[in-house]
Amino acid sequence: MLSMVSLLFLSIPVGFLGALTGLGGASILIPILVFLGIPVKEAIACGMASIIATSSGSASSYVREKIANVRVAMFLEMFTTIGAIAGATITTLISPTLLYFFFAAFLATSFLKSKRTVSESPPSSEWPDRMSRWLNLQGSYFDEVYQRRIDYKVNHPLWGGGGMLLAGLAAGMLGIGAGAFKVTVQENILKLPPKVSSTTSNFIIGMTALAGTSVYLYSGLLNLTLMGPMAVGTTLGAVLGGRVLNKMRNRTLRMLFIFIVAFLILQMVYKGVSSL
Amino acid sequence: MSSPNRISGGIKFELAISYLLAAGVVSSLILVAAGILLFYFQFGNLAISEKKVMFLQEKNFFYFLYDLFRDGPSHGFSLWVMTLGIAVLILTPYARVLLSVLHFIREKDFKFSVITLFVLVILTLSLAAH
Repeated sequence: MLSMVSLLFLSIPVGFLGALTGLGGASILIPILVFLGIPVKEAIACGMASIIATSSGSASSYVREKIANVRVAMFLEMFTTIGAIAGATITTLISPTLLYFFFAAFLATSFLKSKRTVSESPPSSEWPDRMSRWLNLQGSYFDEVYQRRIDYKVNHPLWGGGGMLLAGLAAGMLGIGAGAFKVTVQENILKLPPKVSSTTSNFIIGMTALAGTSVYLYSGLLNLTLMGPMAVGTTLGAVLGGRVLNKMRNRTLRMLFIFIVAFLILQMVYKGVSSL
Repeated sequence: MSSPNRISGGIKFELAISYLLAAGVVSSLILVAAGILLFYFQFGNLAISEKKVMFLQEKNFFYFLYDLFRDGPSHGFSLWVMTLGIAVLILTPYARVLLSVLHFIREKDFKFSVITLFVLVILTLSLAAH
């Protein structure tokens, strides 16, 4: 039987892997908890609450290092919070069987991101559209690799907002950060540089998770003995993961990512099929 | 016009957010971890429990906070400490939006005052109106 201590010590390596692969701790932990017999909605609700800790913890250092674009983040939060509230409300209403399949399907979309080779070069500064100029969204950061300041423009904030509404919906429904999806939207629609994109997404995830948690709070799904160890463990793991991330080779990370996602999809599909 | 001012205000604001998030997460996780330890002393085990008292359930987060302090540790000190930790966790991003609204109003940045206020209202409604 799973105890709080074993869950805590399980959550540390899971948070570590979540940070390395960009999947986030909850995406990995929820299928494992389901495998161990925890009801899926409870696992989702507690995953959502623990993400507030992981995301806010790492966002704190990214904001201090001035990589995350706080203005872009706050603009996009309007969309992710609404999405997350809607998503979490849907989860409290629908059958758990559907959730297994949604979870597996959403994980499958994260392959889209990993297929593309992550470009390391700083992006060309395109001319921003009127909306981005009106909102003053452009930014700059100091890139450690190039040892210089990179200025960038932002494009299509409203389309990006639409993408974020979907990201928030999935996040709220599945109790995860949906970081890979958010990064895809930010890099491809808003044209944020990769580093700005991943750190800004992290910043947004904390707020999205709060919106989702606000729904789970009165659904009676938040189990203290479950989310307590999850929050502490995944955050510790994520902090450790963030430290070694820059030292890992991209190829190793890709292999790890594909292996873990495939395993998680199989587990959720199996659970879904066997509960039909 | 006031661009140097705005830049230094922006940097101070980002630092304030950074410290706020760090302080919220660290204090919340310390409370939760302490709660787990106290749980062991109170119940003699650390089993993940499906008992009703282990679940947070409240119609309104702000009543929930009020009850937390009014009722005190009615279900045992350990659960109270853990619940307090979760409450601090929930308040961390909430305080971050509140701080952002105040910052943008002070900077007279009308557009972002409205944007952050919108998020604050959505979250407040979702935390309160059920």
